[in-house]
Amino acid sequence: MSELPSSFFGWVGFILEKYGSLFLRGTGITLAVAITGTVLGFVLGLLVAILRTIPIPARAKWYQKIPVKTLYGILGVYIEVFRGTPMIVQAMVIYYGGMQMGMRLPVLTAAIMIVSINTGAYMAEIIRGGIISVDKGQKEAAHALGMTHWQSMVHVVLPQAVRNIMPSIGNEFVVNIKDSSVLNVISVNELFFMSKSAAGTYLRYFEVFFITACIYLILTFSVTRLLRVLERKMDGKTNYVIYGSQSDSKASIVIQKEGIPND
Amino acid sequence: MTDRSPVLSIEHLQKHFGDHVVLRDISFDVHQGDVVSIIGPSGSGKSTLLRCINFLEQPTGGTIRFHGKNAETEWSSAQYHARVGMVFQSFNLFSNMSVLENCVSGQMKVLKRSRKEAEQKALFYLEKVGMSPYRSARPAQLSGGQKQRVAIARALAMDPEVLLFDEPTSALDPEMVGEVLAVMRELAASGLTMLVVTHEMAFARDVSKRVIFMDEGLIAEESAPQQLFTSPAQPRTREFLSRILDK
Ligand SMILES: Nc1ncnc2c1ncn2[C@@H]1O[C@H](COP(=O)(O)OP(=O)(O)O)[C@@H](O)[C@H]1O
Ligand SMILES: [Mg+2]
Repeated sequence: MSELPSSFFGWVGFILEKYGSLFLRGTGITLAVAITGTVLGFVLGLLVAILRTIPIPARAKWYQKIPVKTLYGILGVYIEVFRGTPMIVQAMVIYYGGMQMGMRLPVLTAAIMIVSINTGAYMAEIIRGGIISVDKGQKEAAHALGMTHWQSMVHVVLPQAVRNIMPSIGNEFVVNIKDSSVLNVISVNELFFMSKSAAGTYLRYFEVFFITACIYLILTFSVTRLLRVLERKMDGKTNYVIYGSQSDSKASIVIQKEGIPND
Repeated sequence: MTDRSPVLSIEHLQKHFGDHVVLRDISFDVHQGDVVSIIGPSGSGKSTLLRCINFLEQPTGGTIRFHGKNAETEWSSAQYHARVGMVFQSFNLFSNMSVLENCVSGQMKVLKRSRKEAEQKALFYLEKVGMSPYRSARPAQLSGGQKQRVAIARALAMDPEVLLFDEPTSALDPEMVGEVLAVMRELAASGLTMLVVTHEMAFARDVSKRVIFMDEGLIAEESAPQQLFTSPAQPRTREFLSRILDK
């Protein structure tokens, strides 16, 4: 048998060498669950937020308002329940509850489902906030041009809302990278779960979870940076071209401006 | 003389917000080519009137007719809004779109024009308001006067029959008021039917065919500009004019 390391960093190197592929696979699963969960959660939240903006016509009779109001109620309950309980509990209820009712979901599917539904509840509120944050003159201008509620949402309000909430969306993503660790309770082999099994053999919890912490930090840090780049992309060019001039109608002048404030 | 029937008829329009009655009973006609200025103290309901005509606010009473047909029930919202455009005090350019896209999107979504046709039309009107060089700029990169000129081009690109203006120069720095008024004068001269809420008394006096003085949710006085500005019939019109012209 080979000699066991005696120093902290000796152990770190030893563990990396021995369990490197385990960490890598765990990281892969964590990222996969976080990305899919955030994207699906965003879609779900968008859907919920849009449904919650369905206008109730001022002239509608009380019974015509029932379907929309019922929908509002159901969506409200969904948001309250999933924001008001810990994801670790939601995971237990959905996974084992499903199993008891004869629905044996593959673990990874269940994991993505749980993260998506949970994220959806937060996203719905974030996106609603984003929609409210868009100046109401924008919607009025769309309406004055003859756009319908849906057209104005799709072409004018939502693009601005989503841009305004990009930091919060990024935050949800980061939260999902970290909080997917609770899914170890249903044995999803994500980073935390893998770390636990790596630590078990030699009982080197400190060294193993030092590595784990570093990986989480690298993930969240790079994601934050990447999203910042994406945000800047969404702001469009910071310069624009002026077409034509008095002496030469084909001339074009590029105007450089520092950053674009949100109008 | 062509068609003498009004393009737009406001009939006994009323609007209240809860208990607060803002428009009591407003009736007037707008004919083809009319330029009507609406003046009056702040809070008298001028904006609410325009917003009701455009159904940005739901009127609580009365009827708005466009070419004799009820604007709310006998016109499709898209058709009516395409023909009765609006220019806002705060421009309300779509901040997620370029100048050109601002003038194109309504045409494509509402009038179902092709992109090519919509862009041609947009550039034609941007040219007209002197903003075509800025077609690729974002609204945030423009000055107030430039934004308002783009907003006017955006409204014109829909080929409206009537344009509503709600204090189009009130949010502008003084040195930019002129460029927007110049565009509006040109539009008036070209025969566009315009309904203009304004504090620019010179514009109301020189450009409009009729002036409506509103006070406390009613039309207090309506007449030709020379008459209203030189010998107003109502004491409150006189009082308002002396207050605003003294400044
Ligand atoms: N959405 C609203 N809810 C309640 N009151 C309103 C609303 N919009 C306007 N008002 C009231 O209506 C009155 C007239 O407003 P407005 O039409 O903006 O006047 P003006 O444009 O002539 O200055 C004001 O007293 C204002 O407070
Ligand atoms: Mg006003």
